[in-house]
Amino acid sequence: MTRPLISVKDLTLRFKTDEGLVTAVNNVSFDIAPGEVLGLVGESGSGKSVTAKSLMMLNAENSVYDEGSSITLNVDGKDYDVLSLRRPAEQMIIRGGAISMIFQEPMASFAPAITIGEQMVEQLMIHSSITRSQARDISVEMLTRVGIPEPAERFGQYAFEFSGGMRQRAMIAMALSTKPRLLIADEPTTALDVTIQAQVIDLMKDLVDEFHMSILFITHDLGVIAQTADRVAVMYLGNLVETGTVRQVINTPSHPYTRGLLNSLPKLDDLDAPLTPVPGDIPSPLDRPTGCVFHTRCVESGEIAERCRSEIPGTTIGADDHRVDCHLASAGDQA
Amino acid sequence: MRDILIRANNLSVHFPLRGLGFGERPVVRACEGINIEIEKGSFFGLVGESGSGKTTLGRAMLKAAPISHGEVLYSDGEVNYSLGNIQKHELKDYRKRAQLIFQDPYAALSPRMTVRDIIAEPLEVMGITSSRDETDARVREIAAMCRLNLEHLRRFPHAFSGGQRQRISIARALVSGPKFIVADESVAALDVSIQADVLNLLNKIQQESGITFLFISHDLSVIAHTCDFVAVMYLGQIVESAPTRKLFDETWHPYTRALLSAIPSLDPDVRGNAQKLEGEIPSPINPPPGCRFNTRCPHAQDRCRSEVPEWREMSSGHHVACHFAEDLA
Repeated sequence: MTRPLISVKDLTLRFKTDEGLVTAVNNVSFDIAPGEVLGLVGESGSGKSVTAKSLMMLNAENSVYDEGSSITLNVDGKDYDVLSLRRPAEQMIIRGGAISMIFQEPMASFAPAITIGEQMVEQLMIHSSITRSQARDISVEMLTRVGIPEPAERFGQYAFEFSGGMRQRAMIAMALSTKPRLLIADEPTTALDVTIQAQVIDLMKDLVDEFHMSILFITHDLGVIAQTADRVAVMYLGNLVETGTVRQVINTPSHPYTRGLLNSLPKLDDLDAPLTPVPGDIPSPLDRPTGCVFHTRCVESGEIAERCRSEIPGTTIGADDHRVDCHLASAGDQA
Repeated sequence: MRDILIRANNLSVHFPLRGLGFGERPVVRACEGINIEIEKGSFFGLVGESGSGKTTLGRAMLKAAPISHGEVLYSDGEVNYSLGNIQKHELKDYRKRAQLIFQDPYAALSPRMTVRDIIAEPLEVMGITSSRDETDARVREIAAMCRLNLEHLRRFPHAFSGGQRQRISIARALVSGPKFIVADESVAALDVSIQADVLNLLNKIQQESGITFLFISHDLSVIAHTCDFVAVMYLGQIVESAPTRKLFDETWHPYTRALLSAIPSLDPDVRGNAQKLEGEIPSPINPPPGCRFNTRCPHAQDRCRSEVPEWREMSSGHHVACHFAEDLA
């Protein structure tokens, strides 16, 4: 077994706020292997983005990592303890060096008054010792690679001159130009139309193969996950409630929350299937439920409801490392 | 005989832009030659990409966008209005009969008003109720219908989640007792679990009260589950419309097919079989001649680039605008 590219262990992250410490990520562990696409799914407020930003130490000043949290990045046989990187020079490896990130809203991610090309060149020159004209050549080549027509002209244009889909392509080109090992894609297709989304997903798949990159793909759309991910992690209120291969999680979900998400999706092949919402709303992270975090909305707890209210479920590990945090699974009711 | 609540006949909505001082002023042709009929008590879905003109069409049907050509006829059995040349006092009455639910429940509710006041405002502005007691009774009735309790009515919108806020917006739209509601991307900003809840609520309201809905969405799977009739829009024109079942059983237009296949399948074993659409939607300032879809259509031929396709009925109630619909099916 190859060593994981990045290994997150017992990550707990809290924010200091006026109302006290808010737990955004609670005891989260996962690995991403080289070349693997890990999908991270969950509702708004579940802590997906905060988890991803921890990998690049991009969380705000008021964030506190609990002792015992660790993120280990393994590049070319060398280990980096991500959470201990404090100086900007050290952080280069996680910020654009081995890890790049693309965001949901590409318009907000580009500087409006600097040309797209200039922004691409700037970050390339920071991360590698090349000349400006080499950086320019690489940038134009990357723009070509992501399917932007007339890349040489586009290079000199501003973000507002690009359409939404083109901006997201340019964003991908920029993120990949430094040849990162891990790409963090935070809802990269959410703001796009389905037809453009299909194009961008295709492009990302091609690029994973070509560059042998890993991707942490964050989305709330299980359809997008089914189409892109190798493995899936389902997040709820800062906790990972289920992880497994994409087939395990989508076809045989073990956690009631994963099942709830799947049941609330409109399915095209069965128009008569009723839409079953997960009842209620995600609780405030200031007011985390005791016991299982999902017990306030769980419809399956039934007889063991009392146990779910009081006792935090452990992780049950099934076949092929299919992990689920649920009392039902540990009681053997569900495989 | 079908009972049509609202219909658009050859409706066009144009927005003139500021010119350069010479030559012709450019015009955004947001909607062009639209013909739709919305049956009373139906849940009519309108689907298309961003920039296709869905919202503009919805607004024109509420007389909230200028009607440049053609007409919109509203007839609910009590009144008949032609929105193109509606009188001021008639428009006031029409506002009670036709309402809008917005996309973003965070932007649509005033943060300074309590939920009770938000819901009551249309009643007061339109002079529907005459006393405070009457208003309160009506607000409570509607709030209960949208599963908001009395405790909620005293609070301000910031205390609510996205799903609850959208229920407040729905209550506000319902309070004047409308016959026709335009729901513009009303679930797009919500999480899937909440989205299902709001869709179920809208369906329940429609079944119980017989309100006619124009449901605008970019998501065909949502439309498929809620609407009984679908119109597909592309660059300001309707390219295909049919009862929902018919459209999904037999899709005639290549654009509809592309939209359908672009929806990511939930089956991890069915990957990458989507029929990819190249490029992006062109600008409505200079729409392509002939069939407007010709620049992206994988089957486009010379005829598509010169001749505007006719709006044809393929089977009962199923219309399409494509020269080669039969050959491609």
